[in-house]
Amino acid sequence: MTPNGAILFGLLVIAATGVARELDSLAIIFLVLLLFALATKRSIVAALAWSLAIVAPLAAFMVLVWIVIVGRAPNEIAAGVAGSRSAAAAYVAIVCARLFVIAFAVQALFLRFTDWTPLRFVRALSAPALIKKLLVLTLSLIETILQAIDRARTALIAAGMITQRFSLQNLRNGWLLVQTVWLTVIAIAIGRTRDKWPTEGTLARLDHALAAPAPRPSGVDILWVVTATVCLIIAWSWAG
Amino acid sequence: MSELIGGPNFSGRSGALMERLKALAPGNAFFVGPYAEAALSGLSNTVADELAIYCCVAAPTRRFAPLDFATLAARKPPTLSGGEQVLLALHCFSLSDFSTIGIDTALEQLDPTNRDMALGFLSAGDFTAVLVDNRLDRLAGWTSVEREPQDVFACDLAAATDKLAPTRAPAIAIEDLSFRYVTGRDIFRNARAVLAPGQAYRLIGPNGAGKTTLFKLLAGVLAPKAGRITLDGAPYAPWREGNRLFAFATQNPDHQWCGATLGDDLAQRRRALARHPQIAVPDEAALTALAAHLGVTSAEQHLYELPLVARKRLSWLWPLSGALPWIMFDEPTIGQDRAMRATLATTIERLAALGHGVLFITHDDDFAAAIAHRKLELAEAAIRA
Repeated sequence: MTPNGAILFGLLVIAATGVARELDSLAIIFLVLLLFALATKRSIVAALAWSLAIVAPLAAFMVLVWIVIVGRAPNEIAAGVAGSRSAAAAYVAIVCARLFVIAFAVQALFLRFTDWTPLRFVRALSAPALIKKLLVLTLSLIETILQAIDRARTALIAAGMITQRFSLQNLRNGWLLVQTVWLTVIAIAIGRTRDKWPTEGTLARLDHALAAPAPRPSGVDILWVVTATVCLIIAWSWAG
Repeated sequence: MSELIGGPNFSGRSGALMERLKALAPGNAFFVGPYAEAALSGLSNTVADELAIYCCVAAPTRRFAPLDFATLAARKPPTLSGGEQVLLALHCFSLSDFSTIGIDTALEQLDPTNRDMALGFLSAGDFTAVLVDNRLDRLAGWTSVEREPQDVFACDLAAATDKLAPTRAPAIAIEDLSFRYVTGRDIFRNARAVLAPGQAYRLIGPNGAGKTTLFKLLAGVLAPKAGRITLDGAPYAPWREGNRLFAFATQNPDHQWCGATLGDDLAQRRRALARHPQIAVPDEAALTALAAHLGVTSAEQHLYELPLVARKRLSWLWPLSGALPWIMFDEPTIGQDRAMRATLATTIERLAALGHGVLFITHDDDFAAAIAHRKLELAEAAIRA
């Protein structure tokens, strides 16, 4: 599968998930995603676990607010009817299932390209050079923040302010970690943009590294894009 | 003709290097800075991507590949050791079409074998190299430019440590220590070592052997997979309880600041140490005076605005304060001129004589030879005394 095909498939699936109003159509979309992920022949346990972990806090919050406290679904409130907790539960289930499917769609796409480096993936996209460059810079910024977190942790642990394992001390000094991370991000960014990049013209070299003709759509691309389109049509028609 | 820019610290060598690169190849000279942010592009998430950004020669004629970069392809560049990052940068240069390279003290991070290889590569290539290096006075076939010192950031290590009182650091026993990073080989496998107080130890091993990792384990930054550490026989788990044993001067000084200004940093650290009743935390005035001896006279000084060499010296403040019984120096001589290296060696000996335990990592054999020490060799996931 090519990155272009994967991105298009992902967008169609997410659109279908957004349109879906019933658990039935969400179940069909999830089934398609499951097949998509299993076709990679990699373990999908971590992808499912991450998706659940992403949804869990929202689910807990919504259960508390809509089912326990409010006891009615939003459409019942809008219509001014008495409503019921079961309707509220159905509403919470739809919203959480939608988020779960979207989270899993992203995980499944990552699973497809596990062996690809980020630069290779971006280079293969059919997108203007500026967009590709911005994507690489965004990924670089994310990496810089992760690097800064690691550095800041090292500094604060070595100084005895926080501990490597969970502790109350960490909660008390959490704000220090945030402050140190941002100071570090700024220091790293200044180091690069003042010395390395202007001396080398590093960003100009990135243009060269990203310049490549986009690969032609493969049969696999077409298969999954058509499948996702069918999902979108089903979700649309069932919602109507 | 390649060029070596010599001179003591604060003689403007880094500025001269950048000016020279601008004159030789404006906006088109490869640059390896003294710290990781200025050695690698910062645009890649993997080693393979770093190579892809620079590789543009189908059949390079000046190949420099001291490491097996194919096996490191999936690693994130910041997770490589300092020396490995410099080797990666040089490898990228060797695959690129740059005709000029500037290196600001980065070769000081390399072990002797890799350093000799790198200098051989730079001397034999069909390109122009401009080099700042504190351990070289001249190189055959290179022109040398000597710069005059400027009287700034004056540092007096003897005065900084003359009031230190004798202490007795606890003996450290490392028992069956095992550690590996999430993706990677075993760094330690059932490693054992005993570290006596009043003694300096030099950790030796090639780039990537796990020297800095051992420091991080001892300071509680990393938690071992198995094994334990004891202090005078009592269990010690800094990854759970917090570090109350080691004053750690990191290889890159920017890995240890806990505030934006010197005053912030001192206040935060004092507050953290005050939690441990057994630690006599130095008062603010003493620490400010110590900072002045290290070249920084104002507590309002923004740490990141100092020159790298001054930041490196300031990173020795807590080790030299005597507040903690054990001291770790990770590559303390990087960027330091000959005079400062000699003074630092004397200071480390003095700290050990006062009863502190000192661990240090250096690839500078001359510096190490000036300190009475024992060697701890890291090899095959073990620590050998």
